[in-house]
Amino acid sequence: MITYELTEQQKQIKELTHWFAENEIRPISLEADRLGKVPDEWLDKVNKMGIQLNTSSFGGDDADKKSSKNERQGNRLGVIATEEIAWGDPAIALSLPGAGLGGPPIQSSGTPEQKQRFLSIFTKDKPRWGAYALTEPEAGSDASGVQTTAQKVDGGYILNGQKIFITNGGRASWVVVFATIDKSLGRAGQRAFVVEKGTKGFSCTKLVKKMGLRANETAELLFEDCFVPDENLLGGEEFYKTAASKPSGFQVAMKTFDSTRPIVAAMAIGIARAAYEYTIDLVRKEYPKVGQFPTIASELLAEAEQDIAAARYLTWEAAWKADIGVANAKEAAMSKAYAGQMALDVCVKCLEILGPIGLDGHLVEKLYRDVKVFDIFEGTNQIQHLVIARRQYAPYNVRV
Amino acid sequence: MTSFLPTDEEKEFIQVAKSIAIEKIRPVAREIEKNQVVDAFLVSELDELGFLALETPENWEGLELPMITQVQILQALSYGDLGAIQGLPGLGDASTLFRLYPNHPLLSTYRDDIIHAKKSVALLDLTGNTHVTIENNNDSWVINGISQPVRLASFADYLVVMGEDSDGLPLVIWVEVSEQQNLKIEFGDYRLGLLASGMGKYVFENVFVSEELILARNEEALRLIGKIRPRVQLLQAAKEVGLMEAALDYATEYTAGRKAFGQEIAKFQGVSFRIADMAMETRIANHLVWQAALELDEEKESAGGSVLRALYRAHRSVRYVTDSAVQLLGGHGYVQEYPVEKWMRDAQAQVSLYGRERELLIARGEQLIGEPIGVKNK
Repeated sequence: MITYELTEQQKQIKELTHWFAENEIRPISLEADRLGKVPDEWLDKVNKMGIQLNTSSFGGDDADKKSSKNERQGNRLGVIATEEIAWGDPAIALSLPGAGLGGPPIQSSGTPEQKQRFLSIFTKDKPRWGAYALTEPEAGSDASGVQTTAQKVDGGYILNGQKIFITNGGRASWVVVFATIDKSLGRAGQRAFVVEKGTKGFSCTKLVKKMGLRANETAELLFEDCFVPDENLLGGEEFYKTAASKPSGFQVAMKTFDSTRPIVAAMAIGIARAAYEYTIDLVRKEYPKVGQFPTIASELLAEAEQDIAAARYLTWEAAWKADIGVANAKEAAMSKAYAGQMALDVCVKCLEILGPIGLDGHLVEKLYRDVKVFDIFEGTNQIQHLVIARRQYAPYNVRV
Repeated sequence: MTSFLPTDEEKEFIQVAKSIAIEKIRPVAREIEKNQVVDAFLVSELDELGFLALETPENWEGLELPMITQVQILQALSYGDLGAIQGLPGLGDASTLFRLYPNHPLLSTYRDDIIHAKKSVALLDLTGNTHVTIENNNDSWVINGISQPVRLASFADYLVVMGEDSDGLPLVIWVEVSEQQNLKIEFGDYRLGLLASGMGKYVFENVFVSEELILARNEEALRLIGKIRPRVQLLQAAKEVGLMEAALDYATEYTAGRKAFGQEIAKFQGVSFRIADMAMETRIANHLVWQAALELDEEKESAGGSVLRALYRAHRSVRYVTDSAVQLLGGHGYVQEYPVEKWMRDAQAQVSLYGRERELLIARGEQLIGEPIGVKNK
């Protein structure tokens, strides 16, 4: 049955996360942007409240167990909650304690022991983070071109290389790192490792300054003869030997995207909604009621509202497919491609409505700076187009 | 819980409709356009399956389906050819009137003509049309002026007029075309698209309307118009989604097989990225139509706004997707050996016929802001 209605449980999750976003996140949004960080005491406080950036903290795993026997809903709950949190502030949302983008690869590919060891550390005693390190100076969109090497030695691997643009990479307790055991093997040579903070040879060399998302830490990581034990090879050696068509670290990375792209899309939707709601409120209260201004505002806001809804339905569909266990790479890419671009466009429309006053102390200019990267990270808009097109042409056996 | 899986019954409907679209409608689409009328055999086949009466109430021998089911079936049928679907006779856009007034005494007198003689009804919505006037003349009315083009007008036996008289009184009027000597049909010179849809203009020259022909007036008429219009608009939007799906699939298959510079043109990102954009636009329009259909079924207050949004987006998207299909076929897209040039023409004609995009957008914007712009400007 087709329905766009949220269940009571989904509504509760939405209301709860919105309350948190409105009362705890939004009040510190502009100040965190100015400081370039989320205050430590605030992070400690919300961590004690049990708020974290992974779907399970919003009811994902627990809710799955409690829900109907046949249908999971963790992905849908994840995107619903994430939209609300990002509505509060996307930089703070990305800074929330938890496994973050490092969680999905461990959940999907880790051994039971690894899941227990790495995912159980996110407790209320102190804030902790996980991170996901794929991008390198010479390997961005072409994730198959990873240059970081993993040399097999007795008892583990030696990692050498550099990772850039790593969200929460400096503060993370562990980082999922993608490296190659043999560059000549291409994708098949890739492996994913969990590198723990404090490991000898692993360091954070720089925190970069950005156009937006300034309150969120973006790190450069260096691996210099960094020894990682066998037990930290994600999935273990067996994982890479199970079939003729062997899985690789590259597939771990790609599989991760199918669940993280709808989450990132949901964040972009939250940002767009924040800009839209801020602007329509201002139009209702303060906008000129005569001349061409009301017509311009009507058109722009109607388009913005429609685009937000469109992105949300694409995202819900991608999450729904993941929940029912159907391949969702195309839908996940659609949600990310559309939401990332749409959200910037909505912010532009809102800035147009605000005019010059929008430059001075209004939330929308910050959202505009924040949102641009949502059309870049987790796969650029162009990469999403490639993913969509590949699925579209798959029935004709044409690889684009 | 949010879900996007049709019911088993809907799946069966869609399967039948889609096979007819591919096997029976598309192969004769050019012929239908050339003859400017849908082949009687095809009409009869669709009629037998109930596809001409999805919105029609059961006591008028229709299927009286929920909107969410109707939109999916219309999508599937229009996948064959929108031009053919728009030429199908029957109650057309007036179906909703019969659904809302299944036992109206005036309409009931035409029951045999409509159900068994298969006569057709056209719908003329005068809202925003200043070229037709309805003058009140002591509890009767006189209509003058020339309407905009209306689908089915050239062969419809009856006409339903929705508008308001010179005193601002909302009215819904029943007109039996053959009984009105002063009502003429101007067949016009249509070349753009939907050439089999029976488009025509109504020319009213002192057409007298007695009180007996008033189906609803005042508040009742306002409510009736408010219920008919969004349902008509959404059913039209659903047809546009079907056309988009057809254009997307056709262009995908063509570009997967067509070679240039030594490889399939799909391998050029200028081509494949356009296909990806077409796929996204199609899916988005689909979602907005389904969401609005469910709101109409649940009679939500927000349904009218959701329909405006869905129709606006369907208009914008169907223009983009059909234009893209022509573009991706290159010169072949422009000639009539391939269907896409027709689909692009039909799409633009459909958009022209069912609501100016900017008007839909502004109306939606007014709803969102909470005040009509006209009031503000006053």
